[in-house]
Amino acid sequence: MQNPAIEYDYTVAKWFSYLAILFGIIGMGIGVWIAFELAFPELNYVAGQYSLFSRLRPIHTNTVAFGFTLSGIFATWYYVGQRVLKVSMAESKFLMAVGKLHFWLYFIGALLAVGSLLLRYTTSKEYAQFEWPFDIVVVLIWVLWGISIFGLIGIRREKTLYISLWYYIATFLGVAMLYLFNNMEVPTYLITGMGDPFHSVSMYAGTNDAMVQWWYGHNAVAFVFTVPIIAMIYYYLPKESGQPVYSYKLSLLSFWGLMFVYLWAGGHHLIYSTVPDWMQTMGSVFSVILILPSWGSALNMLLTMKGEWGQLKENPLIKFMVLASTFYMLSTLEGPIQSIKSVNALAHFTDWIPGHVHDGTLGWVGFMIIAAIMHMAPRFYKREIYSKKLLEMQFWLQTTGIVLYFSSMWIAGITQGMMWRAVDQYGNLAYSFIDTVTVLHPYYTLRGIGGLFYFIGLFMWAYNFYKTMTASKAIEKEPQFASPMAA
Amino acid sequence: MDIRLIQGVAYLGLIIFLTFILYGYIIHLYRSEKKGKRNYEKYGKMALDDELTSPPVEPLEEHTKESR
Amino acid sequence: MFSWLEKNPFFFAVGVFVVIAFAGLIEIVPDFAQQSRPVVGAKPYSLLELAGRQVYIKDSCNACHSQLIRPFKSETDRYGMYSLNGEYAYDRPFLWGSKRTGPDLHRVGNYRTSDWHANHMWEPTSVVPGSIMPAYKHMFKNVADLETAYAEALTVKKVFNVPYDKDLNGDGKVDVPLGSFEQAKQRALQYALKVAEETKRQDLVDMVKQGKVPEIVALIAYLNRLK
Repeated sequence: MQNPAIEYDYTVAKWFSYLAILFGIIGMGIGVWIAFELAFPELNYVAGQYSLFSRLRPIHTNTVAFGFTLSGIFATWYYVGQRVLKVSMAESKFLMAVGKLHFWLYFIGALLAVGSLLLRYTTSKEYAQFEWPFDIVVVLIWVLWGISIFGLIGIRREKTLYISLWYYIATFLGVAMLYLFNNMEVPTYLITGMGDPFHSVSMYAGTNDAMVQWWYGHNAVAFVFTVPIIAMIYYYLPKESGQPVYSYKLSLLSFWGLMFVYLWAGGHHLIYSTVPDWMQTMGSVFSVILILPSWGSALNMLLTMKGEWGQLKENPLIKFMVLASTFYMLSTLEGPIQSIKSVNALAHFTDWIPGHVHDGTLGWVGFMIIAAIMHMAPRFYKREIYSKKLLEMQFWLQTTGIVLYFSSMWIAGITQGMMWRAVDQYGNLAYSFIDTVTVLHPYYTLRGIGGLFYFIGLFMWAYNFYKTMTASKAIEKEPQFASPMAA
Repeated sequence: MDIRLIQGVAYLGLIIFLTFILYGYIIHLYRSEKKGKRNYEKYGKMALDDELTSPPVEPLEEHTKESR
Repeated sequence: MFSWLEKNPFFFAVGVFVVIAFAGLIEIVPDFAQQSRPVVGAKPYSLLELAGRQVYIKDSCNACHSQLIRPFKSETDRYGMYSLNGEYAYDRPFLWGSKRTGPDLHRVGNYRTSDWHANHMWEPTSVVPGSIMPAYKHMFKNVADLETAYAEALTVKKVFNVPYDKDLNGDGKVDVPLGSFEQAKQRALQYALKVAEETKRQDLVDMVKQGKVPEIVALIAYLNRLK
């Protein structure tokens, strides 16, 4: 048969896994910190102007989305890509070099970009804050990833592309298109030869800028927090459980449904703003339709476990993944509800929105990446997972954290929304703005505690991973399905 | 002609067109399985049986030749 | 046709791209020209205001404050007239924000004064007891970057035809002069002196007299202009 010397090469996948852990801890650590700043404002001053809420908030969002999540996506790509195409990166020196270059450019680029935010270089557009020189670095990183994807596909042994690859390809294309169009900006120094060379001005003005931004912003969520995470779960859940996908046909249908519908939903960020009414309605309607393909994927995942629910009790990694798909269902139901115009009138601008985002990111994205990396660890190092008990504890602690987070933010958001519109018997506003802020103190505290639980869980994860790498019992060959764990 | 009208007509046309494509796709998926042309569910195995040494579900021609 | 698509990665990618791209084409592109028309009376930002706007962006004020008043009675009662599309014609980028941890600021110039802002930014709880907003004391020391603000104004004038140095309302006078950097800077300094005096803080007045505009003064000029 084949040359037995060739094995899958996990070098780049390992590197990106380390980065995911690192950026996860940094990004979510900052998140916990700024959550507590809202409850206890004195915390704003611990590092002078560098610890102000407004300075750290973009760093939190960018580190978590483009540090933690993207590292997780790349780590799993460099693992799953080889396996479902049945070709090793070791077979191509070129692709190996591209992978390594991709990693280093990404790592250095990420550090520089975060540094630039700390020094107040920002375009202010959410999730697209980086100034133009860093945008160029981002484009280069993306091109390298594209070469890696299509290069590996070019030398594949498996003719048909597994469904996960569809989702990775869609991630690549979607982010490329969105990022380019939203970051169209004119560097002022190049036009005038004056002022700060890093400064730029957006190509679009006012309402147009808002439309492009939320077309981007919403779909950055789609193509970073949804599509590639589905790619992961379509590989790791079947592999870990030994059960093939419940319905492969359903997975194909949901794919096209999601691709088509998702892009229209961006308008729900602009309801009751100055963008045209028909566009707001379209955003609202398509957001509701979006439930169908989202639940198609999620149910497909849950049904994959049909007849094998015993594994849920035995295997903490299955727990993580099943809960991830459950949170995916929760947030893809919550999102459309918030997009209904009358609900949006209440929910927009309140804490219910960050609450919703964190159901998805902590529950769905975070859990899936944690599970994926722990699934890969025994294969990376040919050792069993260091501690099943620790993994179980992490699961329960983090789940509690998420529940605290979203329940407190639901209450906070709805409370504040209701207070903003409350009137007394004469029709005057009942509360001044500051009343609606001070009332949130207990919920902000609870949210901070929830975040702290999740954050502690990350250290348990990192410790478990490190011990698996260095001190766990060696295994002879790669496990086929369930990852071996020491009690 | 008014841009709104063009937009509306184009939008309606696209929706009808895409509905056709979607249903066409569903019919295609089930019909080709019924006729025995393809078995989509076997692709699920690609994730389960993914060792470098395990045979591909659907091999690419040139690779099969060189590896055998 | 479908099975062919599934086995040809290149055409598959093209197919995906078409499916995801056309939402943008239909939704966004057709309205572009219509959306960028300014309302009557809208004027571009003066140099000092633009410098203040850059400070607003640099410290991400938009992380907690919106600039978008929705057409509900509870909002118009609290913040004033609901926002109109053409009011944003010169906003690059837009600063609507997505979260009101603090109140909306789109018409804050109508109901707050320069000295209120100065006190508030120095120590928020001194004017709003219970406020969770942090103080921004570094803005009182940092010098606003008028040169970059000028570069931005000149860029939008050249590239996007923003009407600096033009008579907008037909009264024979230039509405928002820009001119050369020196001219613009002198004008900005005069304006800054007026704002600094309104804040009733001698240190700010002294700085402006030395030819240096503190960031806070530029920021207040920008906030006062939001009406």
